[in-house]
Amino acid sequence: MTDMAFPDTPRIDALDKVRGAAIFGADDARPALLHAALTVATIAKGRITDLDIGAAQSVPGVQLVLTHQTIGDVKSAGFIMGGGYGFQSFQPMLSPTIAYRGQPIALVAAESIEAAIEAAALVKATYAPEPFSVSLDAAGTETVNQADTPLSNFIPEIDTGDADAAYDAAAFKIDAVFTCPPQHQNPIELIATVAEWSAGKLTVHEGTQNAEAIRHGLAKALGLPPEQVEVISPFAGGGFGQKNSLQMQTVLAAVAARLLGRPVKLVVPRAQVFHDASFRPASRHRIRLGADRSGRMVAAIHEVDAQTSRHDLFPGEYTATSSRLHGIANFRGHERLVRTDVQTPGYMRAPFEHPACFAMECCVDELAYAAGQDPVALRLANDTESDPATKLPFSSRHVAECLRRGAALFGWSKRSMAPQSMRAADGSHIGWGVALGAYPGIIVPTVAKLVVSADGEVRLSIGGHEMGQGIRTALANAVSRKLGVSPDRVVTVIGDTRVAPQHLTAGSWGTASAVPTANYAADAMLRALSELAPGGISNRTPAQILKDAGRPSLEVEVQKKAPGQPDQIFDRLRAGLPAIGGPVYQDHVTFSFIAHFIEVRVEPSTRRIRVPRVVSVVDCGRVISPRTAASQVRGGVVWGIGATLREASEVDPRYGGFLNADLAEYVLPVNADIGSIEVAFIDKPDLAFNNAGVKGLGEVSMTGVAPAIANAVFHATGRRLRQLPIRIEHLL
Amino acid sequence: MRPFTYSRADTPAAAVQAAVAGGAATRYLAGGTTLYDLMKLDIETPRHVIDVTGLSELAAIDTSGSSEMTFGALARMSDVAADRRLVAEYPALSESLWRAASQQLRNMATVAGNLLQRTRCAYFRGGEPFACNKRKPGSGCAAQDGIDRGHALLGGSKSCIAVYPGDWPVALVAFDAAIDVLGPGGQRTIAVEELHREPGTTPEIETTLQPGELILRIRVPVTSMGFKSTYHKIRDRESYAFALASAAVALDLDGDVVRAARIALGGLATRPWRARKAEQLLAGRRLTTEAARAAGDAALEGATRGHDNGFRIELGVRTVADALMIASQRGQP
Repeated sequence: MTDMAFPDTPRIDALDKVRGAAIFGADDARPALLHAALTVATIAKGRITDLDIGAAQSVPGVQLVLTHQTIGDVKSAGFIMGGGYGFQSFQPMLSPTIAYRGQPIALVAAESIEAAIEAAALVKATYAPEPFSVSLDAAGTETVNQADTPLSNFIPEIDTGDADAAYDAAAFKIDAVFTCPPQHQNPIELIATVAEWSAGKLTVHEGTQNAEAIRHGLAKALGLPPEQVEVISPFAGGGFGQKNSLQMQTVLAAVAARLLGRPVKLVVPRAQVFHDASFRPASRHRIRLGADRSGRMVAAIHEVDAQTSRHDLFPGEYTATSSRLHGIANFRGHERLVRTDVQTPGYMRAPFEHPACFAMECCVDELAYAAGQDPVALRLANDTESDPATKLPFSSRHVAECLRRGAALFGWSKRSMAPQSMRAADGSHIGWGVALGAYPGIIVPTVAKLVVSADGEVRLSIGGHEMGQGIRTALANAVSRKLGVSPDRVVTVIGDTRVAPQHLTAGSWGTASAVPTANYAADAMLRALSELAPGGISNRTPAQILKDAGRPSLEVEVQKKAPGQPDQIFDRLRAGLPAIGGPVYQDHVTFSFIAHFIEVRVEPSTRRIRVPRVVSVVDCGRVISPRTAASQVRGGVVWGIGATLREASEVDPRYGGFLNADLAEYVLPVNADIGSIEVAFIDKPDLAFNNAGVKGLGEVSMTGVAPAIANAVFHATGRRLRQLPIRIEHLL
Repeated sequence: MRPFTYSRADTPAAAVQAAVAGGAATRYLAGGTTLYDLMKLDIETPRHVIDVTGLSELAAIDTSGSSEMTFGALARMSDVAADRRLVAEYPALSESLWRAASQQLRNMATVAGNLLQRTRCAYFRGGEPFACNKRKPGSGCAAQDGIDRGHALLGGSKSCIAVYPGDWPVALVAFDAAIDVLGPGGQRTIAVEELHREPGTTPEIETTLQPGELILRIRVPVTSMGFKSTYHKIRDRESYAFALASAAVALDLDGDVVRAARIALGGLATRPWRARKAEQLLAGRRLTTEAARAAGDAALEGATRGHDNGFRIELGVRTVADALMIASQRGQP
């Protein structure tokens, strides 16, 4: 079966979404619902010395003003990368401490959202401020070598060969520094929670990528057995990493609902989401890249300074990807974390891989020019079959085919090498750039229950979350093919702690974890069906077999984990903890790859940069759902264009927090910014990775866009721009 | 958001009467695209809101006149942008509307309300903890030593460098438009160029409107200069963004010699900025790229750079120069 490409079928929830029938967390309008709003800190660091809630309490309709003085016995749920469940370890409102501007200091619950907002604005805090630092270079930050922290136990530094000696001896040397600004995920669905208690049991409705972490995090924070908490999240309106753990305000909403004995809805407004949830940290990258006279890359040293918070170490994994792009035998990575007074940064689509590929692939382009070689040819000559960091083979790697096919689709052979050598009729400078991207291949343990009924319904209950990426469609396609039923008869229940453990869906492992488990469940179902049909299944549908056997339904339950993971990994899964396998496995290493070919046009006078044309060729193993997969790649390319030319969260060092905290001033691309995006897939299954042959897609699609654009800008203008975002002022 | 009382006005006179009775904390409500936004941010905190959207006599668009065109205060931005005469004969006016906001906002927003759009300065909109003399007189100006990439290069003061964000008023200023306003003392007419004030030491006073005054209509004199006109807007993305620099330009050409030019700048100043010196510089000269550049230089004369916004001086110069060349290519009747 896996040797067959999947047909182009519609997104299974498309009709519900365009009709508004898909219910998101904030859509909930249950009876007796109270509405909550937050008051947030206006200083960047210090302590609350006085909190006046009198005026807020007297607003008609207000039922509760919750503060650190009244919150009661609540604990931090811990940091998701530190053995806990939250996006950070710092739970606001447990003490008078202010760790960053925008931190919640009070929650108001009222009969109407208007009353809640009015009252929240009337809570007045008096502070004892303290000095703070919010940017990488500010005085008062603290820089930590990641290798000297416990993080090194699961994120070892990449160090192969003797990179420094090989670099020193190299014929061509590139030495450059790249900077990436803080950015925010800005899913259109805001962070939103509905919390309701019934008979001592808490139910939370919230768009999330990690229902199990919310469940266990709330249990820990509130001192409950996890069985007393359920989390229901059939859809998230975009996650992009921001919804990958327990949000701090979910705890506050749950506390308020418990105190009031009524359900509470808290929708965090956009400006507060910039401060109350994670973001992509600022990072700075120095790369030294050496090659011999033939252009063979012999050494790379990648040093990273990345922002973290004062209270957590958000681990950096930048060099895990930059070391895998090319066959560089001598590679040394060094990652440092810079403590600043912000909420803990976190995972934002291709969190490390986008900046890492930007830095490395810009250097590779510089090398191509230094060596006088075509940038595609140089990359083809530096391809590798085995992983340079571990010497293990890649389970699959079709980088050369991505480059060759992309070059053909794009018309790369018509490119002239010299910068500023291609002009459009209107005088614009044309630049053509290429770059590679890569993303680790990860699998997480997954449990699935499959029920087939005599009426034809196939019900799959499985771990996974639908954030818009199309996992429901991929699961329906896989199961329907196995069982020989139509995809629209497959009901997929995901994001629901009541039906199966819900591991974090992120890191592009959703499909690569859930689909193989669903396949496994379908195989088990076929075996169970064949036991019901001693004469053979022949051409009968599962429903027909059940009817013939006089059975109303049949159920199987299976579980599956990443290759090499111990059986105890299922305990971590059930405890709501990350249980990540890969990308290094016992006998192979798995990465997804992509090649982007991008045309930019730079206006001659006012120097606006346009991106009329992108060709992206992806090596993500077998494509299970061609339509949603192509959509995901286009979305990733749009993200890449935004990350390269538009987006930056502005930081004023005098105030802390983020300045441009709305969708008008945080400049995302609009439709008019986007031209043609042509997507092609290698579509070769990686059966060493899993039984479906599928590798990750969502994040690799964004990696490499930034350097392809920057390289194209160089080709158009002769200017090497190493600071994101690239804007008009850099080219005037 | 704070509680407020709400009433609907049946006539312009009744609206003015209610506004005068309500005092300083009263706001007229038309499209609501600025007012609601700022109320949600707790920046506008009106105690009384007078809904004037029912005053249908203020919604008319009349571009048939031989001496002037009139646009009722409540005409929608999208309707005026699509007006056939404007599109054909005054592209700068039409483009200034098309290139503002988004289709959804243009469908809601009125052409008079758009004149009164308030600044996008983040320190103004962000509320506490930022110092802002416009929001809280005497508190200081956080932008002076802050992130000023989008702030004004022209017309600023020590008290305020907030940029005037609009597009349509910039084009109106280039075309010598005026507004009729009704106040407690009766009706008067103000040039759009005289409507907005530079901040000086009182940035909280943004216009020359008197308490209670209601804009009734916008009047644009008919001119053949509209044919060769454009509103050229440079911004951080292709749509739905405020100008880094913009220019409304109209030309009266005799062959390639400029008889008269109109130039106004947007996105660069604390108010819509007519560049008369640049206009005079072009009069009687051949419109070459060098002349256009010189006009741009003249238009940006006196520009004061801050920390991050210096590039917008050169960008403004080039925007004016490009706008002149674009306008010169436009057709005659």
